[in-house]
Amino acid sequence: MDGLTSWWDFVSNRGDQVLTTVLETLTYVVTVTVAAGAVAITLGVVTRHRPFARDLSLAIASVFLTIPSLALFTIFIPLVGLGFAPSFIALFLYAILPILRNTTTGLAAVEPSVLESARGMGLTPTQVLLKVQLPLAWPVILAGVRVSALLTVGISAIATLVAGGGVGDFIKSGLARLPLPNSLESIWTGVILSLALALTIDIVLRGLGRLTARQPTRTV
Amino acid sequence: MSTAIAEVATDESTRTRRKWNAANLDLIITPTLALVLLVLAVFVWQYTEFDSTTERILEPASLARQMRQQITLSFWSTLLVVSVAVPLGILVTRRGAPKLKDALVTVLGLGQAVPAYGLIVLFFVWLGQGATTAVIALATFALLPVLRNTIVGLQQVDSSVIEAGKGMGMTALQRLRKIELPLAVPVIVAGVRTAAVINVGMAALAFLIGAGGLGETINAGLKLNRPTAIFIGAALVALVALAFDTAGALAQRYLRPRGV
Amino acid sequence: MTTAQIELRHVSKTYEGVEEPAVKDLSLSVEPGEILVLVGPSGCGKSTTLRLINRMIEPSEGTIVYEGEDVTTVDPNKLRRRIGYVIQQVGLFPHRTIAENIATVPELLKWPKAKVAERIDELLELVGMDPEVYRDRYPSELSGGQAQRVGVARALGADPDVLLMDEPFGAIDPITRDRLQNEFLRLQSTLRKTIVFVTHDIDEAVKMGDRIAILREGSQIAQLDKPEVILAEPADEFVENFLGSGAILKSLTLKRVRDIDLDPLVVLRDPVHRGQALTALAESGSGYAVLVDRDNRPVCWINERSLNSSSELAKAGREISVQLQPEDTLQDALSAMLQSSSGHAVVVDGTGRYQGCCTIESLAHFVVGMGNGGTSLETTGRSA
Repeated sequence: MDGLTSWWDFVSNRGDQVLTTVLETLTYVVTVTVAAGAVAITLGVVTRHRPFARDLSLAIASVFLTIPSLALFTIFIPLVGLGFAPSFIALFLYAILPILRNTTTGLAAVEPSVLESARGMGLTPTQVLLKVQLPLAWPVILAGVRVSALLTVGISAIATLVAGGGVGDFIKSGLARLPLPNSLESIWTGVILSLALALTIDIVLRGLGRLTARQPTRTV
Repeated sequence: MSTAIAEVATDESTRTRRKWNAANLDLIITPTLALVLLVLAVFVWQYTEFDSTTERILEPASLARQMRQQITLSFWSTLLVVSVAVPLGILVTRRGAPKLKDALVTVLGLGQAVPAYGLIVLFFVWLGQGATTAVIALATFALLPVLRNTIVGLQQVDSSVIEAGKGMGMTALQRLRKIELPLAVPVIVAGVRTAAVINVGMAALAFLIGAGGLGETINAGLKLNRPTAIFIGAALVALVALAFDTAGALAQRYLRPRGV
Repeated sequence: MTTAQIELRHVSKTYEGVEEPAVKDLSLSVEPGEILVLVGPSGCGKSTTLRLINRMIEPSEGTIVYEGEDVTTVDPNKLRRRIGYVIQQVGLFPHRTIAENIATVPELLKWPKAKVAERIDELLELVGMDPEVYRDRYPSELSGGQAQRVGVARALGADPDVLLMDEPFGAIDPITRDRLQNEFLRLQSTLRKTIVFVTHDIDEAVKMGDRIAILREGSQIAQLDKPEVILAEPADEFVENFLGSGAILKSLTLKRVRDIDLDPLVVLRDPVHRGQALTALAESGSGYAVLVDRDNRPVCWINERSLNSSSELAKAGREISVQLQPEDTLQDALSAMLQSSSGHAVVVDGTGRYQGCCTIESLAHFVVGMGNGGTSLETTGRSA
């Protein structure tokens, strides 16, 4: 219980810093998810009838996830310097795969008979895409977006090492001051804030998924 | 007897894959990226004027030591993961343990949300500094993919195949050894590959808790503001990861049982 | 009598949390060398009953006796190695070759390698697959029908006395299924295994079974008898409904051409005097005669028109498309009649000599006879 009280004291004395770092992390999540989502969904749509291009883009997107975060966060420093930029680039590259993979799976999972009947009714390919394929694939795509957002929360903790801010700041400063007072509290603050953010984003995006999912129409 | 060993003209074409697939592309793209990085690193090394600080950071002897540490940490933690997660996966997929399995996967799934950076530091606080702590921290973080894939791999085995084995009088152990495990190998190996890559990535953070690794070079570059050193360190870390990944892809390809 | 190969004595199976037992106090004995078919609507417990025999499902109550030995509590794995087991999904091991699949039980029983290799080839030949071609293939390279042949070969691996077959041909297309059934019956005529065969298809049951047990819910035996008896005398309304309206047609598959009285018809031997032939035709009133050659082999159908034709008689007549043999079933006879231009079907003996004709009248007479207590008719054994 002692640990909990001293941790709570630590957090409540640093409301401003908590707010700042949380906002920084959230900025990463929002910008990265939006940018990666735009790129990945476009890529998935464009390559939906080109299996080779699709598999190639999937393979390239997945090779980024192979590269260790510390390496990917730092490798662009000679080009773009420290701070937000290298962190954003790395997080963006990581976030493409989950959305791209779900977009391609989601689009491919639409039943051929549904597409056939849509074409049979005279819908143009664009109309088929916008009115049939994307709406049907949307829940799967959104699930990919959620995975990317959660991935971004977890990995962005390391941005602090390249002066990119975020809740990882608490972990870094705690580690640096070990074993001085408040250092452990600081580390836990970083970890707990990260987990809390992940949990919140998970709930929000799941809720969004439920809201945007088409209810099956009943004809009784 | 003699007729039984007569030569057979096997129809090889039915076994070779006609189409390229994601696994094949993997084996092209990963080495290609590795090659590009290598060329870039060599180029930078050759044609950049190093100041004395950069030179000290990039001293070949210490780079070699860090590389060794990087690989050793990754290797041992992967081995630890396999030796814990595979038996555990087998155990929880046996009859009567579905609740345990669900609980385990949920807990580990939540654990996955802990940032790697935070986790390794917490293990340091708990177990002190050094390579052992690093190996344990790495293995903990990489446990889930192997465990999950072991469970999925065992469960995706066609139940009629297991039923047939049982019907012919194979004991539970014989079914596990001769049917379930061989058929689960591709999925398990995929999990091990993921785990190995995660481990290489986290081993780059081992410098934070005094366990060395190539993170040292990157960190020194960051502290002393030497972008060249940062780049060389990052490229080397990426190369190790890509090498592990390629090894994993090869294992996936060649450990797949024939006929599947 | 203790000659039964398998005996279930008052066996029940109740699943946890389910009130009604899946199998309720079932007693059943299977005689050596017979095919006993368990047939019934889905959910009647026929598969459960089958799986109780090799203890894939453990009975809640009752005793299972195998070759006079109580096997209710012996090591189930040892028991299963003595009983062949074939399932609908086949369940071949996809990572092992055909040979390795067939070798499964012999290897479990630690047969010497040479004996196993010999056995593999023997079994592949038995099920009509060339060992040279198939031995080293993998199951993914087989068609559904081939896979089930290998399934049967694998079940016969260690030469068990008993085969349990759970809808073995259920997932196979009708044409292949028919062929596999025929092949299997031919195989069985030499192997003489004791077989318990589960199906939901009454036609398959009639075709395959030496005896049929029609089961209702809870694996209760509604009727257990030879197929022809069940078809002729359904025990109750349930059995009647289950047999469906085609019971008489089904019974045609059980009887042979030799079982009915053939109509001699008018026979004309080449060379024919046209005037005499016309008279004979007119007197018979059937409109058709059979032209036979010197060796008494049927040549063609002759009617009034062909006799009036100026060309050679053998060419003027109508072609005989199908010839029946005494071993053919009455169903074959019916279809031959329907194809025939004369409406009759010619029956010849093994050497092709004319025996007589099968007519709709003779068939109808026979069917009516069956309906009125046809059990008095001799039942014919299954021909090899």
